[in-house]
Amino acid sequence: MLASSQRLIAIALPVFLGWALSFSVLAELQDLTEEELSGISGAGLGIVLEDFKFSHGTDAPDANGNQARIFKIGGIKSTDGRDVEIVVNHLYISGSGSQYGQSLSPVNLGRLVNPYSIDVVDGNDIGVPNKAVLEFAAPSLIDPTLGFDCMSASATAGSGPCASRPATESYIGERPDVGMQMNIAVGNDRSANINIHAQSAVIDGSYLRLWGDNDRRQMVGQFKLNFYTPELSVNACSQDGSSCGSRITMTDFALELAIGNQLQPVFFDVDGGGNFVVEVAAIDRPSPGSIGADGLRGSSNAATWDFYNDYYSNPEYRSNLRIGNFSVGDRDFGSARVQGMLIQHLKIKTKDLAK
Amino acid sequence: MRWIKPTFMALGLAAFIAAPVSAELDRLSDEDLSDVSGQGGIYLSGDISINEEGGPIDNSYFGRCDDGSKKCGARFANQLKEGGGWMVLDEIRGNFAFEGLTLRVRSVDSGFGGDGEEFNGDVLEVGLPNVVRYNDVRFKIAASNQARPTAPGFQQTDIFSVQMQGDVIMEGNMLVFPTGNP
Repeated sequence: MLASSQRLIAIALPVFLGWALSFSVLAELQDLTEEELSGISGAGLGIVLEDFKFSHGTDAPDANGNQARIFKIGGIKSTDGRDVEIVVNHLYISGSGSQYGQSLSPVNLGRLVNPYSIDVVDGNDIGVPNKAVLEFAAPSLIDPTLGFDCMSASATAGSGPCASRPATESYIGERPDVGMQMNIAVGNDRSANINIHAQSAVIDGSYLRLWGDNDRRQMVGQFKLNFYTPELSVNACSQDGSSCGSRITMTDFALELAIGNQLQPVFFDVDGGGNFVVEVAAIDRPSPGSIGADGLRGSSNAATWDFYNDYYSNPEYRSNLRIGNFSVGDRDFGSARVQGMLIQHLKIKTKDLAK
Repeated sequence: MRWIKPTFMALGLAAFIAAPVSAELDRLSDEDLSDVSGQGGIYLSGDISINEEGGPIDNSYFGRCDDGSKKCGARFANQLKEGGGWMVLDEIRGNFAFEGLTLRVRSVDSGFGGDGEEFNGDVLEVGLPNVVRYNDVRFKIAASNQARPTAPGFQQTDIFSVQMQGDVIMEGNMLVFPTGNP
């Protein structure tokens, strides 16, 4: 009896909430004039988190061996068949100036004028012809004359293309500190605690787009991740946190990762053996003779030449990684840059080692 | 029976919000109507369990949680390709409890580092409950060749599992609004 009433309520609660909300929305509609109504395009849903703070982790066991908080990722096996367990000691999202997660403060995520959004967009606008595309997007990049530098924690308006603003003395900003402390146990061997912290992080311009492919009858997608932080640091500490190794610090870290594009979307699948498959298919080869022997446009089929020229020159399809300075402890290794990576073909398939 | 309480509270609030709106349509003039928004808001406390002791199915694979030989969590399978395998969210179980999730419509015309003034509109505000208590919440991500584990030839590869327990700090407000040009 108890179990069935639980289930009923799990269904009933959102229904009542939806009902309650629909009434307040009806009241809103009364206020609008015909002109105001005609100006509404019925676009997607914007989401902003105001004064947001998130923290969870794993506590050390008390005298009875009980833990107040547990956060574990498991179910993984090592090649020699031992259980692998990732214990997340602390995972946080905080305002900037958190001292590597020591003092958490609230932060805004997304701007009211440029929020996180969930939307069904017209594929014709984004190069996916005649499809409705489900899009989850972070705040979009804006005109650099109006936006903020993506990296600098003291950026001012007009310094770059990012919409999210860094914290100032009077405003908490939209760039969170995010970090994680974890350790990995293989059987009974437990690693040191590994700490990863990113300060004043920005993911503006990132998105995940999903749609269906008629020919392959499959879910396909396009994923873009932009991640900018003035400091990304990694270090390892002993289990009790008393001693730590050198901190690996990457300053002015920028990752612009593009997996899948309009011409080569990512395909997701599970094969007959129950293994997960991610694939980026190669684009078709040009038909024989359509590209001239000298490779120039004049001797080639113009449309075909333009297609391949766009594919190889469009910066949107390429992934970049830039590190301003890489240092370990007090040693500087200078800057690193991987620019213009193009994924021409990718196929990843999980394999169950336990079988 | 502790489950019944939040439902009735939500039901009562829904009725309370609904009533003035329908009454307005009968009696109030257009001018009066335009001043009324009917946005009192909702305060929710909740305690949500998913298969804490086991699901409704009892067969060779699923059963009660105290039967170690059977799986007791919920299973959600999603096919990514016609005729292909299934992505599975498996063995979902546990209990979440929170107090003070609020829901209201808020008019924003200031703050947000100057954005509020420019935005000048209404948002749906979900006030996060500061702390959500997780009681042995678990789930598993897996890939399987069959939607149902009782189907012939069933094979599954567990990719990873997650376990969460204790107080999760979740502070702030989630603001939801239509994008575009309201």
